[in-house]
Amino acid sequence: MTASKALRTEEFLVNMGPHHPSTHGVCRFLLTMDGEVVIKAVPYIGYLHRALEKICENRTYPQCLPVLDRFEYCTSMSCEYAFCLAVEKLAGIQAPERAEYLRIIMVELNRIASHLIWFGTTALDLGAITPFLYGFREREDILDLFEMTCGQRLTYNYIRIGGVSRDIPSQFIPKAKEFIDKFPSKIDDYVKLLNENPIWVVRNRNVGILPPELALSYGVSGPVLRGSGVKFDLRKDDPYSIYDRFEFDIPTGKYGDCYDRYLVRMAEMLQSTRIVKQALEQLPEGDIKAKVSPQFKPPKGEVYSRIENSRGEMGIYIQSPGDSKKPLRVKMRGGSYNHLQVMPEIVKGGKIADLVAVMASMDIIMPEVDR
Amino acid sequence: MKKLINGIKNLVIGLLTTGKHLGRHAITIQYPTQKWEMPERSRGIVVLLSDKETGELNCTTCLLCEKACPSSAIKIVYEKDEKGKRHLKDFIVDHGLCCFCGLCEEACNFSAIKLATKYEFSTYTKDDLLWHTNKLQEVGRDVPYEKVERKKPEAKPAAPQPTTATPSKPIAEKQSAKTGEAISPAEPEKNPELGEGAKPQEDK
Ligand code: SF4
Ligand code: SF4
Repeated sequence: MTASKALRTEEFLVNMGPHHPSTHGVCRFLLTMDGEVVIKAVPYIGYLHRALEKICENRTYPQCLPVLDRFEYCTSMSCEYAFCLAVEKLAGIQAPERAEYLRIIMVELNRIASHLIWFGTTALDLGAITPFLYGFREREDILDLFEMTCGQRLTYNYIRIGGVSRDIPSQFIPKAKEFIDKFPSKIDDYVKLLNENPIWVVRNRNVGILPPELALSYGVSGPVLRGSGVKFDLRKDDPYSIYDRFEFDIPTGKYGDCYDRYLVRMAEMLQSTRIVKQALEQLPEGDIKAKVSPQFKPPKGEVYSRIENSRGEMGIYIQSPGDSKKPLRVKMRGGSYNHLQVMPEIVKGGKIADLVAVMASMDIIMPEVDR
Repeated sequence: MKKLINGIKNLVIGLLTTGKHLGRHAITIQYPTQKWEMPERSRGIVVLLSDKETGELNCTTCLLCEKACPSSAIKIVYEKDEKGKRHLKDFIVDHGLCCFCGLCEEACNFSAIKLATKYEFSTYTKDDLLWHTNKLQEVGRDVPYEKVERKKPEAKPAAPQPTTATPSKPIAEKQSAKTGEAISPAEPEKNPELGEGAKPQEDK
């Protein structure tokens, strides 16, 4: 009795962020703490809001593409791709065969690059610096491929409505093949570094467990959902473009913890290399772009089109007024938003250090949340 | 104890993996002294290209690039003579607004504008990012390019959508530029005297 009087304890509030090294962008968590244990976590978003949807509504359709690049800058190719697929669906444009293949090669390479960023930064958050350097070194090879094709390393503006902007240069295929051949051995290196590393295992195993029911009720998608054991991948379950022509597996986790999400992403990189390899082999000759006027006006209507991005379902909703070069409404859906919303549920009762691990394993990227 | 042995084992594995790279040379370069060779398609600063023989600008003031630019970084100041033909007075690119998307290069039918492989253009003030014709031309003098004469029928939109007055306008102007005849583009909303700075797009 006297002890409790002498040692008064109470909950206290901690602001984590907006500029915290582990938030990968600008995000603030208001944490209610009991000692080191998180009782409640409330994310505050909006610091990176750039009104991208509104900007798109004031641009013609081809002009929207550079904006889409900035939606989620780790996988700009996928964002452009999602937008172009939506517009093509709306206007009934069919991209030439070669363009379809080129797009898939680029998108899958971009998925690898994005997962490599995730791999590097996650390890960095949990105290391992070497993977960061290795991940970025391999990503550099992919960016070189992109740069020689479209001229930019981050905001590609490569995929166009009805095709792609330019054909690949002659050195592309040998270089890409070289990368694809050597990349699995690099993954072996990464896995050797981390898989059984005691610190890595302790920080990730049984941390931030996301049960599949909870994941589904929050609309979680992508590698996070698959880490929870739900085998759902839009490339297989709602095949778009020519994904049905490639052979690849969908890796899933078992327990839904941070470690499973890590394994799923590592396996996904290998699957992406498989897709790229097949696509490079099957790549047909031919046109790379259907004819689309820069002033083009899609017919009146609305469309929702979704693709499997490296962070989950990336959806684009477009409403076209029919008589305008500009969309009436554009809505972008990114996976990170849902992943951030489900976080308070799964960090409850854990340590504050686990919050960092969970945030990292969710692969949240703030520009996608705030748009 | 088992944990300890496991930890040491992993430490050794990790060190062996990283040790493979010890003897290798660095993949980074010392930037200001050493420079990366940019790929030929690399999109750097926007420059205006000049004819290789005459040294004149290739630009025909067709305003297509200005219309294509998503961030309104291009501003073309022109004057119309009595026949209605446009004469370039000033070509302004605001590199502070430009997002280096390359849409202007794609829109141009006369190989007049290009995103060069140059990337060092930092300045002390924002105003210095506003480049006028002279500077754009000077920087673009040594930029290699191939002049592509695009055929007229290809420029015409073949898409199923109903063509409107807007895309047909530049085509009419292109013809006038190619044949040298002055076909009046007939733009009722624009007054020749007010040509300076008048934006062709309705809203941006
Ligand atoms: S599109 Fe080319 S020719 Fe036309 S105004 Fe621009 S730079 Fe000049
Ligand atoms: S590169 Fe893009 S933003 Fe820059 S001037 Fe050209 S069209 Fe405009």
